[in-house]
Amino acid sequence: MIAAKVEEYAFGGLVAAIGVFTLVDATTIAARDDNAVGPRAFPYAVGILLVVTGIAAIIATARGKLGQAEEAEDVDENVRTDWVTVAKLVAVLVAHLVLIDLVGWPVAAALLFFGAAWTLGATWWRALPIAVVLALVVQVVFASGLGLSLPAGIFEGVPFLDG
Amino acid sequence: MDSITALLEGFATAAQPEFLLYALLGVTLGTAVGVLPGIGPAMTVALLLPLTYTLEPTAALIIFAGIYYGGMYGGSTTSILLNTPGESASIVTALEGNKMAKAGRGAAALATAAIGSFVAGTIATVLLTLLAPTIADVAVQLGPADYVALMVVAFTTVAALLGSSPVRGLASLGLGLFIGLIGTDMLSGQQRYTLGVATLADGIDVVVVAVGVFAVGEALYVASRLRHGPIEVIPVGGKWMTREFWARSWKPWLRGTFIGFPIGTVPAGGADVSTFLSYGAEKKLSKRPEEFGKGAIEGVAGPEAANNAAAAGVLVPLLTLGLPTTATAAVIVAAFQSYGIQPGPLLFTNNSAMVWALIASLYIGNVMLLVLNLPLVKIWVKVLQIPRPYLYAGILLFAALGTYAVNFVVDDLIVLLVIGVIGFFMRRHGYPVAPLVVGLILGPMAEEQVRRTLQISEGDLTALVASPFAATAYGVLVVLLAVAVVLRLRRKKNTEVTV
Repeated sequence: MIAAKVEEYAFGGLVAAIGVFTLVDATTIAARDDNAVGPRAFPYAVGILLVVTGIAAIIATARGKLGQAEEAEDVDENVRTDWVTVAKLVAVLVAHLVLIDLVGWPVAAALLFFGAAWTLGATWWRALPIAVVLALVVQVVFASGLGLSLPAGIFEGVPFLDG
Repeated sequence: MDSITALLEGFATAAQPEFLLYALLGVTLGTAVGVLPGIGPAMTVALLLPLTYTLEPTAALIIFAGIYYGGMYGGSTTSILLNTPGESASIVTALEGNKMAKAGRGAAALATAAIGSFVAGTIATVLLTLLAPTIADVAVQLGPADYVALMVVAFTTVAALLGSSPVRGLASLGLGLFIGLIGTDMLSGQQRYTLGVATLADGIDVVVVAVGVFAVGEALYVASRLRHGPIEVIPVGGKWMTREFWARSWKPWLRGTFIGFPIGTVPAGGADVSTFLSYGAEKKLSKRPEEFGKGAIEGVAGPEAANNAAAAGVLVPLLTLGLPTTATAAVIVAAFQSYGIQPGPLLFTNNSAMVWALIASLYIGNVMLLVLNLPLVKIWVKVLQIPRPYLYAGILLFAALGTYAVNFVVDDLIVLLVIGVIGFFMRRHGYPVAPLVVGLILGPMAEEQVRRTLQISEGDLTALVASPFAATAYGVLVVLLAVAVVLRLRRKKNTEVTV
């Protein structure tokens, strides 16, 4: 409960902070004055909206009105937040985006699928072949079918995989 | 009469084998993502936006409209058969449908949902056909100030009136408007909020934002509290082709349609509102109110019809005014824009062939959806059972792929991750994500119209409210807000009394 409140304060604060940034940075937008309304006016309005709603969210939190977490079919309302899983998924996504340019899309994609499925509880020896096949199929479809080529990386020059 | 000829020509286009295949692809995909938890039509359309580079506009829009309609059908299967309903638009269906399925009347619940969706979808599409050209004719005369008024109404209703927390809805809208500001200002050529980063100079692509909040945000959120263990799907039981089935279903279907369509049309509510209203109406009119809460078929038939009619209704402001009132509609506007087409009153004169082919494909898509969701419902039950680790791993993979495929730069993936994490926290704290997407797409349009208005009026702010249409729109908005406040206060009082 206390943790939820701290998070709510932080998110409300973030919204307000983005608002402040919007307002401050708006002053640096070069505006010619021959226009009735230049490129600054709308940013000012957006900044004010963000600051006001961010502060309002903080006040609502202080008065005990917390936001209701979203419901979804696969969400179990009775379990605590599993931060480790979230961190692992973010790490897998970061690894994916770093690896694309290093070893190519197929490997980075297979790792993303495998890593995510494994993190979420799939058996590793079942997830691994699915990940590899899925990545290769997408690579082939893009290279041959759509004519858009994803970086082949270590498969460079291999027929079908390198568009 | 003109529009009937145009519609027939539209059918001639849409009935070509090629376009029939696109429609089938769209409705099949739409049903699949409607059935599957964790993905919805908005995200699917966003992921498929890069298709617009390779397909002609009519084909792409037929696919997107199919996904939009299909998502509405698919959602009901999930809420009837899955023990753990979610998805707001079909939550009312779950109330009665789930009980019916558990009592061994799953077949009847699924059938009334599918046929009800078809009846409502078809009637609503007829209404769309009749209304849209007329509205477009009127809308041609609207000036920039009138558009500003319409957008303000849309912003306020989507952000403040629909969710449980107006403050959080408006904050979400603000975040979307802010993201929309990033990039180069169209009118003055000035860079805004790009922090000198070259990737940001062209702005953040709609695909990246939509996929970020919907796919990555949702996947992270579900993963944080994933329901483990087997997926409990209720077996489909019972017969449905009974006299009682038809006798109890047809009136709720029609009532649902006429509740849903207007609500979808005026920018004052998504599908959720219409389903709640329809459910309330059926409960009140029923001769057996005691059955409600225990599996009353009227409680499935009405809301499902309302749901689909509202979905068709949303297309009226979308096509005639260029005004999206749901997240999916907003992404469809982005699809139009990527072809350099601005949905709005001129659509019916400038792109008449395309619009009518699109509308004709809606009729055809509805028939396809009836077949896909009535005799073939068993296939979707199988789809529903996909093990969740693979489902969410797949969602993340295609989210990353769709984002990367926009520009083939890794920087977009960084933006995707940041927006995904924001989407995750928004879900945890009751910030709705739809206003963010609507704000992102409508924001730049609204800014352009405000500036055009004030350029014409030479800075006179009263020009924004001077036209009769704009003044009326703001007046209606004030009334709507007042009603909402009264309802909220009354609800509070009631809960205090009952507690």
